[in-house]
Amino acid sequence: MPGTLTDSLKVGIVGAGGMGRVHTTAWQTTSATVVGYRDIRPERAERYAAQYGGRAYDSLTALLADVDAISCTTPTDVHYEIVMAAARAGKHVVCEKPLARTLAQGREMVAACRAAGVKLLVGQVVRFFPEYDRAKRAVEAGMIGRPAVLRFSRCVSQPRLNENNWFVDFARSGGPILDLMVHDFDFARWVAGEVTRVYARSLRYTHPAAGVDHALVILTHAGGALTHVEGSWAYPPTFATAFEIAGSEGLLTFDAETSAPIKFLRHKPADQTIPEVPLPSNPLRESQYVTEIKAFYQAIAADAPVRVSDTDGLAALQIALAAIESAQTGRAVEIAPVANEEATR
Amino acid sequence: MKIGILSFAHMHAESYVRCVAALPGVELLGIADDDAARGAEFARRHGTRFYPSYAALLADKPDGVMICAENARHRPLTELAAAAGVHVLCEKPLATTIADGQAMLDACRQAGVILMTAFPVRFNAPIREVKTLLDKGGLGQVYAANTTNQGTMPGRSRPWFVDKALAGGGAMMDHTVHVADLLRWFLGQEVVEVYAQGNRIIHADTVAVDTGGLLLMTFADGTFASLDCSWSRPLVSQTWGGVTLDLIGERGVIKVDAFRQNIVAHGEHAGKAQNLFWGSDSDAAMVAEFVAAIREGRQPSVTGYDGYKAMEIALAGYRSAETGQPVRLPLG
Repeated sequence: MPGTLTDSLKVGIVGAGGMGRVHTTAWQTTSATVVGYRDIRPERAERYAAQYGGRAYDSLTALLADVDAISCTTPTDVHYEIVMAAARAGKHVVCEKPLARTLAQGREMVAACRAAGVKLLVGQVVRFFPEYDRAKRAVEAGMIGRPAVLRFSRCVSQPRLNENNWFVDFARSGGPILDLMVHDFDFARWVAGEVTRVYARSLRYTHPAAGVDHALVILTHAGGALTHVEGSWAYPPTFATAFEIAGSEGLLTFDAETSAPIKFLRHKPADQTIPEVPLPSNPLRESQYVTEIKAFYQAIAADAPVRVSDTDGLAALQIALAAIESAQTGRAVEIAPVANEEATR
Repeated sequence: MKIGILSFAHMHAESYVRCVAALPGVELLGIADDDAARGAEFARRHGTRFYPSYAALLADKPDGVMICAENARHRPLTELAAAAGVHVLCEKPLATTIADGQAMLDACRQAGVILMTAFPVRFNAPIREVKTLLDKGGLGQVYAANTTNQGTMPGRSRPWFVDKALAGGGAMMDHTVHVADLLRWFLGQEVVEVYAQGNRIIHADTVAVDTGGLLLMTFADGTFASLDCSWSRPLVSQTWGGVTLDLIGERGVIKVDAFRQNIVAHGEHAGKAQNLFWGSDSDAAMVAEFVAAIREGRQPSVTGYDGYKAMEIALAGYRSAETGQPVRLPLG
């Protein structure tokens, strides 16, 4: 069974792009061994093998045969086939967020992993970000009473991969509502409970000629709390995040800009290259992605639950898809939370 | 020119009185208030006359009055002033129902007097700078806006603010109209649809009206704007709240924080940090505009109709919160 022999846990990376690199280096901080890489463009897998060790595989099946766990860091629309294959092969999976492109796919993936007895961690990594984690713990400690009105903002420039820019293909990525805002939907639900109604507006539907998307979403939680989420691919190059949680007895606020500990004012702008896909930067002794992968490694080793459950992955996907539907139809979308299905099962 | 104050129910009256007193050629006629103790006290404090009734003040023929009564009492006082041929600057929100708002517009139009809505944020210097920038095309087409007008719960010092019969609602009635007005002004368009949700979690034990709220407005050309109108600033905050707008457009993003021009003070005796505002006084500019409009016999730059349209958005918000779906404007 998976879950044993963790000293020699062997890991494969499926999708040798930007997040594939992040996962590879994170796994290498654990006792696991990254044995290989698979990418539909073999030269990318070869490049990672040369850089990080291990080898390139020319098929997913061959890779799965050699590993105990995989990181699925492919474009969103192919998460389904890869995670299903991993489950069939009895391998643990870290699946980058969002879990899937459709809710039906997500449900099947969760069911397959459960049936196979493998762990599934959805990369809703914001739960591992210290500023968000600190806020969650402050709420749990009762510092602000009962959460009432929550606000989240995540604003970046549009991803600009030099080749195969699947991010801007809505059919593949679901746009910023699914790709970006899923983090905040997950975190809002973690703090304020299940979400039952979603209303959204998005430039994709109101100003298609803009060519970039910016969305504003209002979530209504079962317990009465309200959440405002802003997600943008319409910002100039930056990674701007902020949140506030107003409760019955207090207020928590965070703004990445004002809490940035270092500011470097240059006499001459250096040859700054704009990253293809912006990632947040904040000096920490351990990257949030390392924290995430370590947590997953330990969950496998100890056969313990992971901080982001498969239900959490499915629930965040459900909220994001409801937001897209609302932005498209202009109507508020009522949802029956997936977690409630489990509770009544 | 003589200006009177009808009611001191709203705390803004204190500021307006000071603004009138500072204007050259303008005389503060006096204060009328149905709360005689309150009115007499403020009249004494500001060295002006207290009138025992609104009719008595109007009989002394002011050129204009500033109405700072409870929201639901704006209509009768406006009608009284209009009937006396006196120009009106009315505190926001203009009224609490469509019928009242319409009646106020009609009364002032028929009497040929000015009806101006007290939207001081329109006169806020950073906000005006943004308006100029937008008008020059600095942002190109505006696509969306993420805005806030949050504050502390005002019911402790002025209990009528949390009395639905007098205030017309809670946070959504109190804190929707400023930003709704700014957005209409910035965009030069009307809101055609409003979605909103409200709740009562903050101060639930002491307040019967909504204290938390979020709105998402859609304008005629599809531009959309969210607004957080919550009374979500803790009473221990260093500020009453604020007005912020993030405007997302063709050429980038403009973020404006209308009340950011503060020195932060930490005094051992104050008990908490305090913001010492050093920005330009927008109340003074607003009152000056009211006086100038009277002098020049013209409409003010902020009208009663602007107040009516902003109020309509708040009312649509309440209707949407009830039904759980967006509500089309105008409300019939």
